[in-house]
Amino acid sequence: MNRRPIHTKISTLLITAMAFILLLASCSKTEQSWQRIVDEGKLTIGLDPSFPPFEATDGTAVYGIDVDLANAVAAELGLEANFTYFGYDGLYDALLSKQVDVLISALAIFPERTRDFSYSESYFDAGQVLISPSDSQFEGIEDLNSQTIAVELGAEGHTLSTSWQRQKPGLIIFTFNSAEDALNALNTGKVDLSVVDSIGALLYINKKGLRANTFHVTNEPFAMVVRSDDTILLEKLNLSLGTIKESGQLDIIIDKWLGQ
Amino acid sequence: MQLLKFERIRFRRALQLLLFSIIIVLIQPSPVLVTYGEQQSVETSIPNLGVHTRLTDEVEEWKIQRSLKLVREVGAPWIVELFPWAYYQAENGSYAWDHPDMVINHANAQGLKVIARLGMTPEWARPPETTLNYLDEGAFNDFAQYSADFADRYRGKADHIIIWNEPNLSYEWGYQSADPSTYVKLLKVVYPRIKEANPDAVVLAGALAPTLEPAGSPWGLNDLDFLREMYELGAADYFDGLAVHAYGLTFPADAEPHPSILNFRRVELVREIMVEFGDEGTPVFITESGWNDHPRWSLAVNPGQRIQYTLDAIEYATKNWPYVDVLAFWAFRYPAPTKSYPDYFTFVTPEFITKPIYDFLKNATGN
Repeated sequence: MNRRPIHTKISTLLITAMAFILLLASCSKTEQSWQRIVDEGKLTIGLDPSFPPFEATDGTAVYGIDVDLANAVAAELGLEANFTYFGYDGLYDALLSKQVDVLISALAIFPERTRDFSYSESYFDAGQVLISPSDSQFEGIEDLNSQTIAVELGAEGHTLSTSWQRQKPGLIIFTFNSAEDALNALNTGKVDLSVVDSIGALLYINKKGLRANTFHVTNEPFAMVVRSDDTILLEKLNLSLGTIKESGQLDIIIDKWLGQ
Repeated sequence: MQLLKFERIRFRRALQLLLFSIIIVLIQPSPVLVTYGEQQSVETSIPNLGVHTRLTDEVEEWKIQRSLKLVREVGAPWIVELFPWAYYQAENGSYAWDHPDMVINHANAQGLKVIARLGMTPEWARPPETTLNYLDEGAFNDFAQYSADFADRYRGKADHIIIWNEPNLSYEWGYQSADPSTYVKLLKVVYPRIKEANPDAVVLAGALAPTLEPAGSPWGLNDLDFLREMYELGAADYFDGLAVHAYGLTFPADAEPHPSILNFRRVELVREIMVEFGDEGTPVFITESGWNDHPRWSLAVNPGQRIQYTLDAIEYATKNWPYVDVLAFWAFRYPAPTKSYPDYFTFVTPEFITKPIYDFLKNATGN
């Protein structure tokens, strides 16, 4: 015979009931969003079209890596991609207030926001890169010592290399008026290294045919963003993104816009 | 018997846990002791220079102090800072003033003058599933109470107060329509309450976002149209200064203004409207300004241009705009990176590494 006290029984019953209610509540929330998207047949995407080559507008339509990615993800899910535009400041609030289902707008994973939002797997790393000629002995940031580095005056690469210089006083920094000028200095052998953002580096390497090695020194992983309770949508987006990555479609999209 | 054994094990576990907790507490480093230190003053050749700080989300006191010390050292006597209603007032009316006390006292200790931007609605004062920026007429009185209590508490410490932010953008109303009449109603409710609490307060209205959005746009309303309507609705008696946002975007500081262009000198078009409505005695406070040097953002310039345009803007405003009491740049430093283009408005990184623009500005102020 079960001799557990009556209050233990009640507690167990209450906890089970609460867990069941919470489970129901969370299920209904997540299913509601995904089911509505399926019923409507469209995925509403928020973006800030001021960030080429990821998203830009010609006044009538939007284009860029994120737009192609959104179209591919939506197609993979059997949905139509529907774009809505916001300024950067309004993007997360637009998602929170349910004006859009997902943000695909060159947004880096931001741990401080994960109470309200969830991020998909990353689809691009836009951090800063150290670039060295492919025939140099340089193998990464740990090899920094007394090289010459070309940077754009005042850019993040300039700030980073200045902080490295404090640790390695032998480093010599040359500043240029643009990232392209800094990379030209590397390309013509006037300096040993350069630091620029990975998008600028890729665009230059492909445009000028520079044979170089790139080493990420900061990470800015771009990802899709959903409301944190939209777990089913997040799972669907990750599955879709995985398929697009595996099939090589993501590389084709990135190559199209970064000129490879 | 079994039960007794179980209880004994539980007691031992609890004791172990207690001992473990005591050890953890003992080996934890003591918190950094931060004092206000000696009263400082700002050395500068540009007395109307300011920066918009972002200390509201900065948790650690030493970081708040270090940020403000860097502001003083760059030679900017003014800061603009956001003090969100949502962070400080509970539904029962009680306040948690610790953090704003910390920010304002440290700012004053560094010799800085504070322009306080008030906004953001607590959950209890807005409908469910709305954003922090949502404010409707039903909560105007509550917001006025917060504003008055703030003005009273910081009398003599933060006498300049901006009512709300960029009210011509629907995003800043929680995606309600950006209606000048609603904003004027808000001014009419809040202004007298602040003045009653602190007669020395300088109440700033506006802080309009530069935008070309036409009437009926779901995103907002052209700042010039919005301001004109504010005056037509009788707003002039409900503010002491007009806060203006003046971003240069891709244009140099001295680029000619035009109603269809957003650039730094749009301030002159704003001023024309003030004069047109006989409000030339009211000063302008530029509470956000600057250029962005992100390598990809389509409205950015390169870092060298950003430095030059910023210095040119200060020179231009000093020479040509006697009605501008403060020119503050967005944004001094973020507590954490946004990891997008807004990071490229800043002068100092979250890790306190000063950017080259900081050094140029410091040089310009004679420091």
